[in-house]
Amino acid sequence: MNCDWTKENVVLYIYDELADDAKYEFERHINQCLACKQEVEAALAFKDGMSALPVQEVAPNLLVNSRLRLQESLEETSQALGWNRFVFDFAGWMHQLKLAPALTAAILLIGFAGGSLTTWRMLGSRPPGTDLPGGTVTQPQQANIASIESITPDANSNKISIKYDMVYPQTVEGTPADPLIQQLLLMAAHNQGNSGVRLDSIDVLTRQAEDDAVREALVYALRYDKNPGVRLKALDGLKSYVKDDVHVRDAVVEALMHDTNAGVRSEAIALLDPVRADMSVREVLQVLAQHDKDQFIRSQSRRYLDSTPNMY
Amino acid sequence: MNQPQGRRNDSDLIRASQRGDRGAFETLVRQYDQAVLRLALHLTGSEADAQDIYQEAFLKAYRHIGNFRFECSFYTWIYRIVTNLCLDHLRKRQTRREDSHVMTDSSGQEVDLLERVSDDRSGANPERDLMRRELGAKIALALTRLTPRERMVFELKHYQGLRLRTIGEMLNTTEETAKNTLFRATQKLRGVLGSMR
Repeated sequence: MNCDWTKENVVLYIYDELADDAKYEFERHINQCLACKQEVEAALAFKDGMSALPVQEVAPNLLVNSRLRLQESLEETSQALGWNRFVFDFAGWMHQLKLAPALTAAILLIGFAGGSLTTWRMLGSRPPGTDLPGGTVTQPQQANIASIESITPDANSNKISIKYDMVYPQTVEGTPADPLIQQLLLMAAHNQGNSGVRLDSIDVLTRQAEDDAVREALVYALRYDKNPGVRLKALDGLKSYVKDDVHVRDAVVEALMHDTNAGVRSEAIALLDPVRADMSVREVLQVLAQHDKDQFIRSQSRRYLDSTPNMY
Repeated sequence: MNQPQGRRNDSDLIRASQRGDRGAFETLVRQYDQAVLRLALHLTGSEADAQDIYQEAFLKAYRHIGNFRFECSFYTWIYRIVTNLCLDHLRKRQTRREDSHVMTDSSGQEVDLLERVSDDRSGANPERDLMRRELGAKIALALTRLTPRERMVFELKHYQGLRLRTIGEMLNTTEETAKNTLFRATQKLRGVLGSMR
């Protein structure tokens, strides 16, 4: 332990990055060496002085604007999936395989076993009904053809080999709290092909909005569903959480600012009544009160602002 | 900087995002975006640049979240993206030799740091407040004398309060290198600020 070592480590000491034993030695040295003690005091003064340029908190307006801009860009951005992703990851994937031969062997074995089991189940007889946790699933005898994978004519005969996928419609019954039912409802909420199914699923899900996953599905529906009826239903399910869940509040504020449907916007502004004193909500209301095209939104925003004491 | 509190389960959100669930990704974004914006804002001194970095970082994360392999926390991963973008920004700015004591806000207005640096501790002492503002402007100027990497390490350690080990992970380097960089950065700053007095 000497003065050179102390000077080299003074930065680590003032930023609390020295290990306990080194810190002990460091402090013992500076208590005996006046020059090193002065060096530490100067370093601490420097550290304290640097706080004259503090880290500013992000203004709510800047945050809201950044989020909205990002959201718009995300709508036009696709993830690196499929072939591109495979090409991109190939080296890393090989690297991982190389480093984990036991894991590789395990994956291959599981894959082989899974494939064999699936084949066996497909070839085996199907029972007419199966009990699953969360309800009873009924399988009908009839199945639909989902898609044709390939058509291969046999060159030596007039036979043709066709590979196709089947879809077996199933029915499941249970209460909304059953995990399987809830999982299906969440999937139905994302069913882009059928807005009626989405509306029905969101209607049921609104009764379970205390669940985080359900609330996320409602927020998702409010933000992205093309059907205003579904968005209104989602808003209805979220109304109890505007005050306590900041994600819900943000989604409602976004609906108020950008939804294309006047009914959804009117409902959104009504939901924001309990949180109108919130700074980010106030900023949005101030913008809407001055510039919104909708007379009702403008007047309602003004009314909220007038009835809320200005704290800033 | 402390990691954002009250996070929902990141792993579930990441897995959902990897399956293409944009809602899950946005939830993930909201756990970290304030901290990201704060870092970019302090480093660039410009709201417009900070917004650009924010935007580019999360779009990059969205495009490549399929490659996230849970080898580090999402927090480290997103910060690695952000710090790389900030480093690029600092390098470009260094080439342009901009003075960072003049900042630009989102409307493009230039704001002198003297106006931005506030003093919560000075109370009703205007003289002390002015001195502190002047010191703030000097510090901002002194920070521009660091190399981009020194600036980044100093920012993450001094202003964001991260451990050197984490900083090393974020910058794809070792803890030892991060230590040496921090040492150089503080030496330079002390020298520059000392000569300004």
